[in-house]
Amino acid sequence: MPVNPSVFVFIAWRNIWRYPVRSLLTVFALAGGLVMVILYSVLVEGISRQMVDYATEMSTGHLQLHRRAFIDEQDLYATLPWSYLDAIETRLPDISAAPRLYAAGLASAQASSTGVLMKAVDAVREPMVTSVLSQVRSGTVDLGPASPSEEGLERHNVVVGTQLAKNLKLQVGSELILVTQAADGSIGNGLFRIAAILNPVDTAFDRTGVLMSIEAFQAMMYLQTGFHELAIKTRDTAELEISQAALDATVRRLTAEQPLDALGGAALVRNWREINPTISDMLELSRSMVIVMGFIIVGLASFGMLNTMLMAVHERTHEFGILLAIGMKSRWLMLMVLIESFFLALISALAGAVIGVWSGRYIQRHGIDFSGTMPDGYDWAGMSFEPVMRGHLEPAHVISACLIMTLVAMLSSLFPCWRTVRLKPAEVMR
Amino acid sequence: MNAGFSAASVCTMSKKPLGFVLLLVLLIPSLCARAAQVGAAEIGTIGVEDLIRHMDALWRGETSKALLTMTVTTRRYKRTMTIEAWSHGKHRSLVVVRKPKKDRDVATLKVKENIWNYLPKINRVTKVPSSMMAGSWMGSHFTNDDLVKDSTFEDDYQSSITFAGERDGRAVYEVTSIPKADAAVVWGRVTIVFEQSAMTPLHALYYDEEDVLVRTMRFDQPREIDGRLVPMRMQLQPEDKADESTVIVYENIEFGVPLQESFFSLQTLKRRR
Repeated sequence: MPVNPSVFVFIAWRNIWRYPVRSLLTVFALAGGLVMVILYSVLVEGISRQMVDYATEMSTGHLQLHRRAFIDEQDLYATLPWSYLDAIETRLPDISAAPRLYAAGLASAQASSTGVLMKAVDAVREPMVTSVLSQVRSGTVDLGPASPSEEGLERHNVVVGTQLAKNLKLQVGSELILVTQAADGSIGNGLFRIAAILNPVDTAFDRTGVLMSIEAFQAMMYLQTGFHELAIKTRDTAELEISQAALDATVRRLTAEQPLDALGGAALVRNWREINPTISDMLELSRSMVIVMGFIIVGLASFGMLNTMLMAVHERTHEFGILLAIGMKSRWLMLMVLIESFFLALISALAGAVIGVWSGRYIQRHGIDFSGTMPDGYDWAGMSFEPVMRGHLEPAHVISACLIMTLVAMLSSLFPCWRTVRLKPAEVMR
Repeated sequence: MNAGFSAASVCTMSKKPLGFVLLLVLLIPSLCARAAQVGAAEIGTIGVEDLIRHMDALWRGETSKALLTMTVTTRRYKRTMTIEAWSHGKHRSLVVVRKPKKDRDVATLKVKENIWNYLPKINRVTKVPSSMMAGSWMGSHFTNDDLVKDSTFEDDYQSSITFAGERDGRAVYEVTSIPKADAAVVWGRVTIVFEQSAMTPLHALYYDEEDVLVRTMRFDQPREIDGRLVPMRMQLQPEDKADESTVIVYENIEFGVPLQESFFSLQTLKRRR
C-alpha cells in the first residue's frame, strides 16, 4: 500500500485540535518554560557582559604587562623601564597602552587613617584604555598640582572611591595625607587634595584605592626607574590572541635589546582572562548553569507534554485498534503520534520564542530596577554593579533554547509512541 | 583588580615575621648601664631572679642622649642616616634625623605603645596605626613594633639564665626569654649572650614560633663611657637575606642627662629640637 506521508502530517495536525483546550494548556506549559529559560539566559548574559566590560573597560584593559616579581609579591622595585613604553607604542601602533604604578601607603584625613593602595596613572593615556577616570560621582577628575595648603605647602590632586571617601569622611576639596615607604627607604609623604570621588566599580579599589598622577607618585616614592603595569586595549577584542602574541613578541625583542635587572623577574604579558581568572571562571560557570537550568525547566514542562500525549493515545486506543486491524502498520501510527508531538513542540517553541524575545528585549532595554532597595547597586565577584540589572538577548541562545525544548518534548513523547507500537488490535478492540 | 595588594605589604620591606626586640637603638644605653652595674657587683654568684630583677630596676629612670649613624643595606638601596636620639627609661624616646638633607628633621616619638612620626615636608605629625606596626622603621630592618614592644618586654616574656660558663674562649651568660602564654608577641624565643666580666651583650638571637632563627643582632666595639662598657656598634642581620643588614654606630652617648618626661611630647616632636 503506497503511503503519502503528508497524510500523516494532516491527520496529526487535525488530532491536535480535537481537544484544543488540552493542547493549548500543553503549549502554555512548554512555552512558559521556554520563556523562563530565555529570560534566565538574558539576565546571565547581561550580567556576564557587564562583568567583562567592567573587567576590561573599567580597570584591567584587554592585556597587561608586568614583571614577574610584581605579579607575585607586588615588589615595588619590579618596574619596566620607561623606554619600553615608547618602544611598544612605536612598534605596535594599533594598540593603546597606559602605564601605571602602585604602592601601599597610609592615608590620613583629620582624625582617621587607613591603609590604601596608591595607583598612579597617566591622565592622557589612561582614558584611551579604560574608563576609570570617567566614573565620576562628584568633583572633576584632575590629577595635576593642586592649590597649596593653608601653610603654603605644595599639594597634588588625587581621586578616591566612594567607600574610602565615606570611611575617611572626605569630600571634594578635602586634604589627604599619604605616608609610605619610598623606594630609597625613606618615609615617602605628601599632601594631597581630593579632586573627585569615583563611582564604585571595583570593590577593592573603591575601599582602598587612591588615584594620582605619575609625577606626584614619583615625587613621593623616589621611584623613577619605570612603571609597574602597562594596561593595553586592543583595537578588536576578537583578535585578542593575535594582539597578545604580537605584544609578547615585541616585549621579548625589547628584553633582548634592553635587558631587565635580574631581581624583578621576566616581563609577562597576560590577557584579562588570565588576570581575572575568577571572573573568567564565573562566566563559564554561569553559562553552563543556563544550560543545566534550561534542561530542568524544560524537562518539568515536558511532563505536561508526556501527560497530554499519553491521554491522546489512551483515548484513541480503540481507534488505533481498528486502524491496525484494517492493515495500518504500527510504525506509521507511531510516526503519526510523533508528528503530533512535534507540532505541539513547534507551536510551543514559536510562542515561547516570541514572548521570550519580546520580554528579553524589554529587560535589555529597560533593565530590572533595584534602586529602591539597593541605591548603591550590588557587589558580586569583587565588583560593584549598578542597581539596574540589564539583560542581553543573544539570538543564538534563543535558538538553542528552542532546540533544547523541542528535543526534550520529543523525548518525552517517545513513551506514548512506544505504547502505540505495542497495541494488539484483537485486545484493544474488544 | 589588584585585590591581593594589601596595604601593609609594600610598607614592609622584609616579609619575615616581625615583632619584638629587646635591644633597640635607643635602649642599648640603658641595657649596658644595668649590665655594667650587675657585672661589677655580683659576678659569678648571681641568681637568675636577682639578675632579672636587678636589670629591671636599673632600666627605669635612666636617661640618655646619643648621636649615631644608621646604615641600612638592602638589595635595592644603601642609605646612611645621622640620627640624634634621646631616651627616658624604656617608655619614652625621641629620634630626629639630622642627615641626609632629604630626610633632615624627620622625627619619631615613642611614648609607651604609641609612635608618632613628624614629617617636615608636609609639616604634619602622623600616628603610626597598629596596622602599620609591622612596617619598616625609617627603611631599616627594624620595625615600628620593635620600638614599641621594648616597653612591654618584661610583661610579655619570662626570662631565665640558660647557660653560664665558657663559650668560644669567653665566660658568658646566656639569657633566654620565652613569651608568656597570653602575650601578643611575634618571637617564639629570644636569646641574649652576655660577656661575664663586664656584662656587655655579645649577640642576641631572635627565633620565630617554629624555633627557626629569624635574625641576629651582634654587638661590638665596646668603649668605656661613664664607667660602663658600651658596645658602640650594633648590626642587625636578617637570616633569610645574607646581603642585607642594618648597622648602628654610636658616635657618642651620654647617660644621666637631665630630661623630663614632659620632654617626650608632640610639641617637642613638632619643634624638631
